[in-house]
Amino acid sequence: MQRLYDSVEPRVMDEHMLKLAVEEQGPQEEAGPLARQEGILFKDVLSLRLDFQNILHIDSLWQFENLRKLQLDNNIIEKIEGLEHLVHLVWLDLSFNNIEAIEGLDTLVNLEDLSLFNNRISKIDSLDALVKLQVLSLGNNQIGNMMNIIYLRRFKALRTLSLSGNPIAESEDYKMFICAYLPDLGYLDFRRIDDHMKDLARSKHQYSIDGLKQQEYLTQARLDDERARQEELKKHKVAFVEHLNGSFLFDSMYAEDVEGNKLAYLPGVGELLQAYKDKFVIICLNIFEYGLKEQEKRKLELDTFNECIQEAIQENQEQGKRRIAKFEEKHLLSLNAIREQSNLTNIEIKIVEYGEDITELFNVLMTLEMHLVEQLEETINMFERNITDLVALFIENVQSLMAQCRDLENHHHEKLLEISINTLERIVKGELNEDLPDDVRALFVDKDTIVNAVGASHDIHLLKIDNREDELVTRTNSWCTHLVDTIHKDEIMRNRRRVKEINQYIDHMQNELDNLECSDVID
Amino acid sequence: MEVLKEKVEEEEEAEREEAAERGEKVMRPVEMRREEPPMTQEMLRDLEKKLSEIEIVIPEQPSIITRDTFDISKLPLSYQSNTLKEEHLLQVADNFARQYSHLCPDRVPLFLHPLNECEVPKFVSTTIRPTLMPYPELYNWDSCAQFVSDFLSMVPLPDPLQPPSHLYSSTTVLKHQKGNCFDFSTLLCSLLIGAGYDAYCINGYGSRDLCQMDLTRDVCPLTMKHKEVVQEEEKVPPKKYAIKPPRDLSSRFEQEQEMKKQQEIKAEEEKRRKEEEQRLLEVEKAKIDPLHGLRVHAWVLVLSGKREVPESFFIDPFTGRSYSTQHDHFLGIESLWNHKNYWVNMQDCWNGCKDLVFDLGDPVRWEYLLLGTDKAHLSMAEDEEDGMNDDEDVENLGKEDEDKSFDMPSSWVEKIEVSPEVFETRCPNGKKVIQYKRAKLEKWAPYLNSNGLVCRLTTYEDLECTKTLEIKEWYQNREDMLELKHINKSTGLNIDYFKPGHPQALRVHSYKSMQPEMDRVMEFYETARVDGLIKREETPKTMTEYYQGRTDFLSYRHVDFGERVKKLALNSAESNPRPMVKITERFSRNPEKPADEDVAERVFLILEERIRLRYHCWDDRITASKREFLRRTEVDSKGNKIIMTPDMCISFEVEPMEHTKKLLYQYEAMMKLKNEEKLSRHQAWESELEVLEILKLREEEEEVHTLTISIYDAKRNEKSKEYREAMERVMHEEHLRQVEAQLDYLAPFLAQLPPGEKLTRWQAMRVKDECLSDFKQRLIDKANLIQARFEKETQELQKKQQWYQENQVTLTAEVEDWYLSYCSQAMFRIRILEQRLHRHKELAPLKYLALEEKLHKDPRLVEFLKVFV
Repeated sequence: MQRLYDSVEPRVMDEHMLKLAVEEQGPQEEAGPLARQEGILFKDVLSLRLDFQNILHIDSLWQFENLRKLQLDNNIIEKIEGLEHLVHLVWLDLSFNNIEAIEGLDTLVNLEDLSLFNNRISKIDSLDALVKLQVLSLGNNQIGNMMNIIYLRRFKALRTLSLSGNPIAESEDYKMFICAYLPDLGYLDFRRIDDHMKDLARSKHQYSIDGLKQQEYLTQARLDDERARQEELKKHKVAFVEHLNGSFLFDSMYAEDVEGNKLAYLPGVGELLQAYKDKFVIICLNIFEYGLKEQEKRKLELDTFNECIQEAIQENQEQGKRRIAKFEEKHLLSLNAIREQSNLTNIEIKIVEYGEDITELFNVLMTLEMHLVEQLEETINMFERNITDLVALFIENVQSLMAQCRDLENHHHEKLLEISINTLERIVKGELNEDLPDDVRALFVDKDTIVNAVGASHDIHLLKIDNREDELVTRTNSWCTHLVDTIHKDEIMRNRRRVKEINQYIDHMQNELDNLECSDVID
Repeated sequence: MEVLKEKVEEEEEAEREEAAERGEKVMRPVEMRREEPPMTQEMLRDLEKKLSEIEIVIPEQPSIITRDTFDISKLPLSYQSNTLKEEHLLQVADNFARQYSHLCPDRVPLFLHPLNECEVPKFVSTTIRPTLMPYPELYNWDSCAQFVSDFLSMVPLPDPLQPPSHLYSSTTVLKHQKGNCFDFSTLLCSLLIGAGYDAYCINGYGSRDLCQMDLTRDVCPLTMKHKEVVQEEEKVPPKKYAIKPPRDLSSRFEQEQEMKKQQEIKAEEEKRRKEEEQRLLEVEKAKIDPLHGLRVHAWVLVLSGKREVPESFFIDPFTGRSYSTQHDHFLGIESLWNHKNYWVNMQDCWNGCKDLVFDLGDPVRWEYLLLGTDKAHLSMAEDEEDGMNDDEDVENLGKEDEDKSFDMPSSWVEKIEVSPEVFETRCPNGKKVIQYKRAKLEKWAPYLNSNGLVCRLTTYEDLECTKTLEIKEWYQNREDMLELKHINKSTGLNIDYFKPGHPQALRVHSYKSMQPEMDRVMEFYETARVDGLIKREETPKTMTEYYQGRTDFLSYRHVDFGERVKKLALNSAESNPRPMVKITERFSRNPEKPADEDVAERVFLILEERIRLRYHCWDDRITASKREFLRRTEVDSKGNKIIMTPDMCISFEVEPMEHTKKLLYQYEAMMKLKNEEKLSRHQAWESELEVLEILKLREEEEEVHTLTISIYDAKRNEKSKEYREAMERVMHEEHLRQVEAQLDYLAPFLAQLPPGEKLTRWQAMRVKDECLSDFKQRLIDKANLIQARFEKETQELQKKQQWYQENQVTLTAEVEDWYLSYCSQAMFRIRILEQRLHRHKELAPLKYLALEEKLHKDPRLVEFLKVFV
């Protein structure tokens, strides 16, 4: 069955070939000429068959963006490529080709049926994206390792699998193994797997499967944990207080602070540091909790606002719809009336009346819309004021809390300086008994050095605190501006859409009337 | 004390005199009594004279149940005599009555101890027999009262101005299913007290309507419309960001003027309406009753407290209705009693019962007969009134002293029992008719009418009940699940209501005629139907269907029909459906499709070959896409069929799309619509067929009207009855067989031997042989007997044949016929005898062997015989 491409002339997948195929497989009978007359756009094609064409390279398919079903069987394709844009593909047939590896399918997330029958594949992989896969045909390939089956466990929807004609299919345990490891499978090699078989297989491979399950479960649990943590962090980020529910800020203050760490070896500094840290963390926690609370408040405010706006818009829409429905009723009647009238002057009168009706409808709809715009503007401005106030208050309070942090730092700095100078004096006097690491001892050469070192540590700390504060304030402010901007923009968009819609509708009506006039004139 | 006694004696004498006087003066108005100016002797005599002229024709009504209708000797002993305690109670009661008449000489004597069916005086309280019935329906007061009013038929009091002389036991009343108001009240009171209510029998005065159970001035409770409870919508507090309403630019002054004008109009209307009402009321008002306030009636009082009764109320036992204690119908109370005590009303009844206070613990308002019942004195009231009531207390002293330890004897009445059959039948003979104002209510017991009718309410337009307005009929246990039939005579509209379970899932069917293609509305239980149809409305020219919960989201289909085309062809047997002119279908939103591909309304104008589509609206839009197809098949200049041209499809799109502009798309859409049109037409046609089918089914059901019988109803369920009878038969046969099996073959032979002695082996052998030989003889005899009969028959036949052959020529046809039939019968007999003989010959040895076997196993012989086996 293997075809060598030097025995036949490979063909290139070009525009012409595709066009031919599309036309051939397009609408038939009466609709056929119609379709040919208008031409079929590639992006409207849902299904395409390209079998027995001696294709070597898959190419030129990027235009078929809505394709659901693609058949490329019985060609001499060696590599899966050029299918990235066919994201709606559900059915892909690549059987009877010369493919050696599974690749290039990562964007086809909707794929349900994949056939790679009679190729040269030796390993099942690169199918991770195909979460909806139900039917997989891999018969007549060169898969030799049973462990490939375990890879297929991740496809929860997989019901049909064919692997006959592979080296593994010759193994004695082949069927049992697959039934055991893929318990949800319904058909193997086009045969139904009965329950008895499943039970048998399960009991046979129970031990290894349990191990595997345990492993999978653990991985899953880890993933879930990670996801939960990410969620939590995201929530904190929205409140602008991420990493403030612990000693993260404090630790970061000391992470880049070489001198500070050195000074920690001084006698008495350890306790001082501990006390400082405790107090600092408490303030951080305060900020954190306050931030979450404020976030709730903002959210509530925003929700109320959105709800009210939606209600107002809904009601306005209902009014508009009612108006239009009333008009349509009348419209049908008056159209009929005009059609039935035989007197030309009467017709003209009717047409004028009708035209007036349309104008009136236009006025009414536009007035409604203008009312709504005015009302919404007022409300939006009110909301803007409130949310800005809320944010300002939040920033103010956070800043005062941050100031407490700074005070703590200053206090700590003074204490540290005192201890350092004391230590220096004692070193100078030679009273110091404790062992100090050499690099620490190196700081205590003279007063300037030690003061500088302590000062540098202090500066770093203050900088960190300032940075955190700045970050919070900027982000909060930018969030607020962004929110208000979006609301304004959305409202403008809505208004434009509505006006456009009304105009479109009125134009359509007017057109219809004009057509009527024309046809009357012709009659 | 002595002074008191003297006084009492004096009073007694006066009382006696007065009683004698009262014998003549039957009509002593209760109400007038109070305003009576002091009468002189002459005036009295004058009055007497005048009164004696007035003759009251008391209808010759025998006492409710005449003596001969039941045998008092069969009644239990407690009915026929009084126990010592009861005697004592009667004495106490007499004493009480004496004192009472002494104290209140102007009041009528108390109703204390009427005679029972055995002419024995019984105290009224002991006639109440608290009973809890085994039927859950009788646990609540309303159903209980309804039961009593349904179950007994009402007999008026022999003298409407006096309590009856007899008060029968509830068991007797129930047996005869009729009674007066006292019987009704006693029974109802017994049931209510048994069910845990705080209920009392009342002897008092009622209006004429009440006493005569005349409901013709009452509105039937079934016709009263339920007042719809208007639930006040909870006012949602305006939200923070609620938009402000647009400025109101209309003039307030003008609004006010308008309001004023409208109010004036309204007031005028109101006035007119009131006048009209007044007029109507005048018409309806009853004639003035000359005996108003004198008619004696008995009813039931239920006091609040027990069984979560929030407020005290009266129950009229005749109608089973409840009234507030302030109701106009109740004009006064003499006394009331339950099974434990007896109270006399000491309050003034000038204003009916409106001002009465039912605090039985208050000795000023209610004089009690026995002390120490569960109605405790209200301590507060007692403290306050102690000082004021000293004299009364003193008067009561003597009585209280003797009675202190005395309590009410238990009831002399047997347990009240109602069998389930009688309970189900309810009304006497299972039928009851009540006449209301402009309405007549008829009730039947279930299964009494073959069509399942249990209740019929006829409402009339006028007070004389001549013009029927509407009829409502309630049914039960019908196989077609018909529940209520509502016939409106004025509009001719019939509405049938069905319970779930009709074969076509019909719920309501309203129609004017059973002819098809007329105005009718059918409602269905949509969950029971595959197509989710809720309602189908029909007029002669249209049919509208409403659906719910369909997978294709169809919610509405409206079909307009045109004139029926007259068929020239002769195939009249085939149905000739009306041509459909227009089909309108509406769909609810399919959330899976985008709004401008989800059709909201589809109109097929079949004659014009036009198809109109209206799509759903996007959530944030006010206009919806539209498309109109003109289905014309034309031929162009070259003779080719034009398949699709741009002017065949007019469309308006809210969001213009490219692919819909294509002719191909439009062509495909039109082809699809064509198919769907065919489908819709077919469905409409099927609906028409279904209507016909339902109508046919309904007609059949009306004719047959079979009733269903619950499988638990052992009495009526024929199948189970048959089964049970079959079981009984089998049991009986089994029993017979057993008896036979126990038949002792040896008895006659053993009897020949001397009794009481043990058998010897020789005797046993002999017994066995005798038994066997006897049996053998019997078999032979039987065979001989059959043989003899057989021969006799054969001979006779031969004789006849001979005779026939001799006289064959002279015989008439009749005789010949007779001969032939005789021959065939004789042949039949001969054949039967022959068969019997054969059978006997076959079976006889077997029977013989079976007997031998049996004898071998006989316990009396077995030990002697087993050696030889």
